[in-house]
Amino acid sequence: MTARWLGERVPRLEDTKLLTGRALFTDDVDLPGMLHAAFLRSDDAHGVLRSVDVEAARRRPGVVAVWTAADLGEYWKPGPALVPPPPIAGLVFNSATQVPLAREKVRHVGEPLALVVAVSRYVAEDALDDIVVDVEPLPAVTDLEAALAPGAPLVHEALGGNVAARARQSKGDYAAARGRAHKVIARRFRYDRGAAAAIENRGVVAAWDAKTEELTVWDTTQAPIPIRNGLAAMLGLGESQVRVVAPFIGGGFGPKIMMFYPEEVLIPWAAMRLGRPVKWIEDRQENFYATTQERLQIHDAELAVAKDGTILGVKDRFLFDTGAYDPYGLTIPINSQCTLLGPYAVPNYDSEFTAVFTNRPIVTPVRGAGRQHGVFVMERLLDLAAKELGMDRVAIRRRNFLPPDAFPHDHEILFQDFAPLTYDSGDYGPAMDRAVDAIGYERFLREEQPALRRAGRHVGLGIVSYIEGTGIGPYEGARVTIEPSGSVRVATGVGTQGQGHFTTFAQLVSDVLGMDPSKVQVITGDTREFGWGTGTFASRGAVVAGNAVHEAAIRVRKKVLKLASEVLGVDAGELFLECGSVHVKGAPERSLRLGDLARKANPLRGGVAPGTEPGLEATAYFGPERGNAANGVHAMIVEVDRETCEVRIRRYVVVHDCGTVINPTVVEGQVQGGVAMGIGNAFYEQLVWDENGQLMNASFMDYLLPTALDVPAVEMRHTVTPSPLNPLGAKGVGEAGAIPAAAAFAQAVEDALEGEIEVLEIPLSPNRLFDLLGSRSRP
Amino acid sequence: MSVQAGHVVSLTVNGSPATRTVESRLLLSDFLRHELGLTGTHVGCEHGVCGACTVLLDGEAVRSCLLFAVQADGHAVETVEGLAAGGELHPIQAAFHETHALQCGFCTPGFLMTLVPYLREHPAPTEQEIREALSGNLCRCTGYKNIVDAVALAARRGAAAGRHGAEAAPARRGGSGASRRGAA
Amino acid sequence: MIVQGEYTFPGTREAIWELLLDPAVIARTMPGTEEMVRVAPDRYEGRMRVGVGAITAAEFTVSVQLADVVPPERYTMQIDGRGRFGFTRGTAQVRLAADGAGTVMRFEADLQVGGKIAAVGQRLLDSVSKLMTRQGLESLSKEVNRRLASADPGSRSPNPGPLP
Repeated sequence: MTARWLGERVPRLEDTKLLTGRALFTDDVDLPGMLHAAFLRSDDAHGVLRSVDVEAARRRPGVVAVWTAADLGEYWKPGPALVPPPPIAGLVFNSATQVPLAREKVRHVGEPLALVVAVSRYVAEDALDDIVVDVEPLPAVTDLEAALAPGAPLVHEALGGNVAARARQSKGDYAAARGRAHKVIARRFRYDRGAAAAIENRGVVAAWDAKTEELTVWDTTQAPIPIRNGLAAMLGLGESQVRVVAPFIGGGFGPKIMMFYPEEVLIPWAAMRLGRPVKWIEDRQENFYATTQERLQIHDAELAVAKDGTILGVKDRFLFDTGAYDPYGLTIPINSQCTLLGPYAVPNYDSEFTAVFTNRPIVTPVRGAGRQHGVFVMERLLDLAAKELGMDRVAIRRRNFLPPDAFPHDHEILFQDFAPLTYDSGDYGPAMDRAVDAIGYERFLREEQPALRRAGRHVGLGIVSYIEGTGIGPYEGARVTIEPSGSVRVATGVGTQGQGHFTTFAQLVSDVLGMDPSKVQVITGDTREFGWGTGTFASRGAVVAGNAVHEAAIRVRKKVLKLASEVLGVDAGELFLECGSVHVKGAPERSLRLGDLARKANPLRGGVAPGTEPGLEATAYFGPERGNAANGVHAMIVEVDRETCEVRIRRYVVVHDCGTVINPTVVEGQVQGGVAMGIGNAFYEQLVWDENGQLMNASFMDYLLPTALDVPAVEMRHTVTPSPLNPLGAKGVGEAGAIPAAAAFAQAVEDALEGEIEVLEIPLSPNRLFDLLGSRSRP
Repeated sequence: MSVQAGHVVSLTVNGSPATRTVESRLLLSDFLRHELGLTGTHVGCEHGVCGACTVLLDGEAVRSCLLFAVQADGHAVETVEGLAAGGELHPIQAAFHETHALQCGFCTPGFLMTLVPYLREHPAPTEQEIREALSGNLCRCTGYKNIVDAVALAARRGAAAGRHGAEAAPARRGGSGASRRGAA
Repeated sequence: MIVQGEYTFPGTREAIWELLLDPAVIARTMPGTEEMVRVAPDRYEGRMRVGVGAITAAEFTVSVQLADVVPPERYTMQIDGRGRFGFTRGTAQVRLAADGAGTVMRFEADLQVGGKIAAVGQRLLDSVSKLMTRQGLESLSKEVNRRLASADPGSRSPNPGPLP
């Protein structure tokens, strides 16, 4: 096997369909007799639901059915708790999961109250206006600290409080470390909510075939297989009776792996009840509160350092807004807790978080999934410590990097996959060297910045390190089949939302089977094609599914060599695969096309030897024992306009180590896109809620995504420390760009303003920056 | 209120005539997608900000979610499906492929349809001009860099002289790329 | 959302008081009011149509419950408006004080706005509420002037006498 395609910049195989408008997205599914659904959603963030009167809506011409919670009968059930609480001693965990339609209470704006099915979406929305809702408003829980105070209104009365969870993880003896410290840096940090804002909103189309007794569901999900399994259980069907297709998905970024959204529970049920296909497509406004979100955390953190900048310990107490329900368990705050440690040796650590129920939409992972909070807190603390100690920012980081011989490094706390947080490999010094070199750190500080300052310009640099735990289990699988045509089909369970899996998986197979990637057809996200797996999350597609694809291809190759050796009468060791054929070494004219061999492997007559499997096909699974640690350094130069508080990013450098790179173009695309999202989080994007739990900027007019004018071209450098945890040596990359951007941005803005302000919160915005500067200049 | 009178809409789409009877409130985006089955035009926000639904109306880039189908009566509409006429990618499509200017691809048709008239009017844009032209279309995956590269590549190759699609239509002004940041 | 201010009308407190609580006057002067009926001595119900940004004509059914009524000095309104685009609810306090020949009205409303109208109209709500308040006060002032012009001069006494 030669690595001809691994690491190559193969142009994407999926592009043509997408470029010509022929790719099937969920809203493109059109079925005979299809009906259209719309949901009535709560305008109140918190209240007693007295009644939902749908009689007038039912009478409207064109309306086929209207349901409220009361009409669902036995089918009304709270959703599953997706991630059980990890085995952390003393853990408190109160589970409260979302419901299909609100009953008795509403707990956030946008919570669904009724489902209308009609002949068109237009008529369905008309009928929403006919519904009369009586809600007795209750005071909303919106402030995390007030939510925990005695007498606070309760999101879930039955729990007796608003604590969703509390977990403490620690190692060493922080108090003792603090006692020895030369300085203790303590601050409060805040990182607020944003929207994932995939350009494609969510959608579900379901069709029940009464003759074959099969349910087909097209769903904008990142996890088609768990959706199939859950739907089968809810609807009382066998798993083989349910086919879930995640076709082309217009961006995922985390919220599309939430399970089960009310719409996912109800649309298939409605299609079965009505015996007609039903389509529901979310609109953008719904997306702002019916799709899950992330990011509000408030950290009170402190760092104990020695005189030379050595980290003695970190203590962190933080609040995490989980929204009205907590189906995703503790994934996000545990990520924050773990990622805070970064690439550093932290001998003493004491971290406790409290997850808080609020009357805001549900929080589940969004690209980064709590990791950015950890990076933000740690990197800001190091910046502040460097300032207090009179140290260079880069020097304090280098002083604390885990050395290259420290791996595997056990951090003595649990990660989100419940495995001990153990870094598999890494070499952080060289990554920092490359970033320092690429951004021109020394020259900028010595020459450029002083000259710019003399010219009255406010230009600053930010440089931060991070670790991203990626590629966690449990497992993924793949089936590789050589077809008689000579082309290869690869089927895998992970869905794809633009990560280039159609190409990178083809590259992995191409090397093993000696063929051009364009001959490899990859099928993802269709449970009929492949029914085992979990989904696309935690930057794990290439790592976990990639290794399964690779292993399945190796098994097919073994079958190819075995059969070819029988047919050609030569030892398997004398054969090689190239250009879609098996050749005899030294006699390349003696060859067999793989397609012909596939036909021979599936004979119509004659006997086959016992134990022989027909065809050239194999299935393999890969489950890593634990996640791996990708790492990198982000550096940026910004210019702040002191008058307008506009911030322009002049340069952005990323040095990234995601282990073995399958396709650099795809990896760079993931990083550039992640950085864009990180910049949005840092400076543009903030969901603004009033004290009553009303979202006040639920449109792209008021909620600003970065545009082509706001995102610079990222200058990219790769370093490669292969992961020892999988045969390919790959680490994940999907979330990396988004994670450290805010920390770098904060440092750069602070630097540009010459320390006039401390940036302890994200997102900033021109308005917020103006306020911070204003409060400083007032007497 | 619920049953509205029908209006006959006759127009050409990608050069072919089409006639349908529709409600006056039917959006052009829904008309193209659901009446004509041209699902390459995508809907991302339905309030004219994201640009995913951009199509050409008499050669000019417009947001099909901000127009009613009845407003297209008597006009020529072009969609992404019309770009690769004859099975060969339009030079702008080819440039997107070569520079990895799309990931999930959902916003891509809107970018392409914004760029067709833009490059015709601005055959040699600078990087800043390209970014301004793109600033009315949102992409959540790519971070725009590769899209900027694709436009530059297409411009170098003379995409304005593109053999396909939009060349027959009269050009009035380029793109819908006015920055929305002004008011923010 | 807090809406507050003061406005000086010509005329006595009693005259202003009467106007402020007259449903026909409210319907004429309050912008967007399509109907206003006094269903009980202390309760009004009606319909309003309000435009906020992208939402051009949001219709609300409105009920106003009066409380703490001390003529011609002060009263409190519990306002509850709801419609397909969301809701507005809260309380408003109105106080009247004699000021020479005129009357100073001081008002303070604490309103909650929810639903679509808050979600997509937020940045305009403040200016819309200010605009509506100004328009309402100006129409009311015109109404006062019109009545004063046609009324018995005796009622224009600068001294309304002791409070009831």
